[in-house]
Amino acid sequence: MGREVSESCVDSLLTEMVSSYCNRLYANKPELAAPRIEAIGYQVGHQLSERYTMERPRFSDHLEAIKFICKDFWSELFKKQIDNLKTNHRGTFVLQDNKFRWLSHMSVDPSSENGSTVEDNSVAAGESKATQATSMHLYFPCGIIRGALSNLGIPCAVSADISNLPACSFVIRIKA
Amino acid sequence: MQFFGGSEISPSPPAPTATGNNAHMIYVFNRNGVCLLYREWNRPLRTLNSQQDHKLMFGLLFSLKSLTAKMDPIGADKGNLGVPQLPGQGCSFHSFRTNTYKLSFMESPSGVKIILVTHPRTSDLRESLKYIYNLYVEYVVKNPLYTPGSPIRCELFNTTLDQYVRGIA
Amino acid sequence: MAPVGPRSGDAIFANVERVNAELFTLTYGAIVRQLLTDLEEVEEVNKQLDQMGYNIGIRLIDEFLAKSNVSRCVDFKETAEVIAKVGFKMFLGVTASVTNWDADGTCCSIVLEDNPLVDFVELPDTCQGLYYCNILSGVIRGALEMVSMKTEVTWAKDMLRGDDVFELQVKLLKQVPEEYPYKDDE
Repeated sequence: MGREVSESCVDSLLTEMVSSYCNRLYANKPELAAPRIEAIGYQVGHQLSERYTMERPRFSDHLEAIKFICKDFWSELFKKQIDNLKTNHRGTFVLQDNKFRWLSHMSVDPSSENGSTVEDNSVAAGESKATQATSMHLYFPCGIIRGALSNLGIPCAVSADISNLPACSFVIRIKA
Repeated sequence: MQFFGGSEISPSPPAPTATGNNAHMIYVFNRNGVCLLYREWNRPLRTLNSQQDHKLMFGLLFSLKSLTAKMDPIGADKGNLGVPQLPGQGCSFHSFRTNTYKLSFMESPSGVKIILVTHPRTSDLRESLKYIYNLYVEYVVKNPLYTPGSPIRCELFNTTLDQYVRGIA
Repeated sequence: MAPVGPRSGDAIFANVERVNAELFTLTYGAIVRQLLTDLEEVEEVNKQLDQMGYNIGIRLIDEFLAKSNVSRCVDFKETAEVIAKVGFKMFLGVTASVTNWDADGTCCSIVLEDNPLVDFVELPDTCQGLYYCNILSGVIRGALEMVSMKTEVTWAKDMLRGDDVFELQVKLLKQVPEEYPYKDDE
């Protein structure tokens, strides 16, 4: 087992990185903050996958590489594997983590109920703001997956779905 | 018509139940006196609006801390009455009891104050308050969506707190 | 006097959730690199890293206090020792030492020989003037401010600049007591 640090180091670094980009460096410009957060993840994923595959034969196909992400790669990062892998056999893969660690401390405002129509609007606005804040935290892990696969010679697009916290599904679309 | 001191109000409430549900309310203040959290489970009598209520509670603690330190017969670090202290300076009180309720208090060196008001016959709650401080760390401070110093609106924290407090005896 | 807390962070570090340090190190490196790209000026990157550290410090202090059971941070000397011995161990898994106290006990150095932030890091020449680990000074400043100590934290030595250790100079500017936040007529 290599060197370890407290999980809080990584958690607080990620929280602050997202908040720096979204609230200070590119305040109110999520379209500028998001690609930068993703780029940081991409770089990390690329380097990690390089390290973890150094002494391993090349993967014979896409499925092999995706399985490596689900098992070995995920275990190195989160001490658990992806819980469920689905594919349409046409280059789209859905990786579901039932308890994604980086979302396990995340919790939203419960006070988004009741009220008149005027308040309904503000509640809806507040809710979409919360959704947006949450989604900002997903660009980093999406970038990690994209970077890791790109290092394995697989160009792809990665998005995430969190309709059921703390579960998280990553959708990988491999570019033909 | 009711008369003052009428038999309706009994001087001491029923004995605490071993099954819990002995907590009335909780306050969490930060070092700037901002009330981060107020939550109540059982508070039939309320006479103030919430802002006044929080201010009075904070003032009560502020004065009590100052007074208890001033009257300390042993410790040298007494400070002056009404003059602000550093959190953790001088002696510190951890609870008081009236015939109708008990107030338990803890303050972290970072100035986070947790106040739990319970049935007067609940036991020493210092460990419970530390536990609640740990819940605050896990579910509030570590929540990436929480902005430090803002009122706590974390569902996970509220549900975990409710569940824990229900078991306090 | 009552003990203020444990003397070493080993036991706490053994009990907290830990992760692979590579992830941490590489993530930090990627953030610094992205900031260099986005901000261009090295000085501005130093400032942002310090600000990020400060914001992390004001959160991390409560986890530190809750898990270490430290009940008092009134004395600066005591507090600096606890941060170096318990704080660094508990979060980064390394031990720091405190030296170079000045005569009136308001300025000291925190020395770090082993620093997981810089594993695999070599600074290119284009990064002259960059304090790569500046996030650490921000964390310490932020954490100390939350226990009422206003400080100034600066780098005295930096291994990435050829020194033999990392050395942070921590200077206590003032201790700020708690204020009564309400005005009487409010």
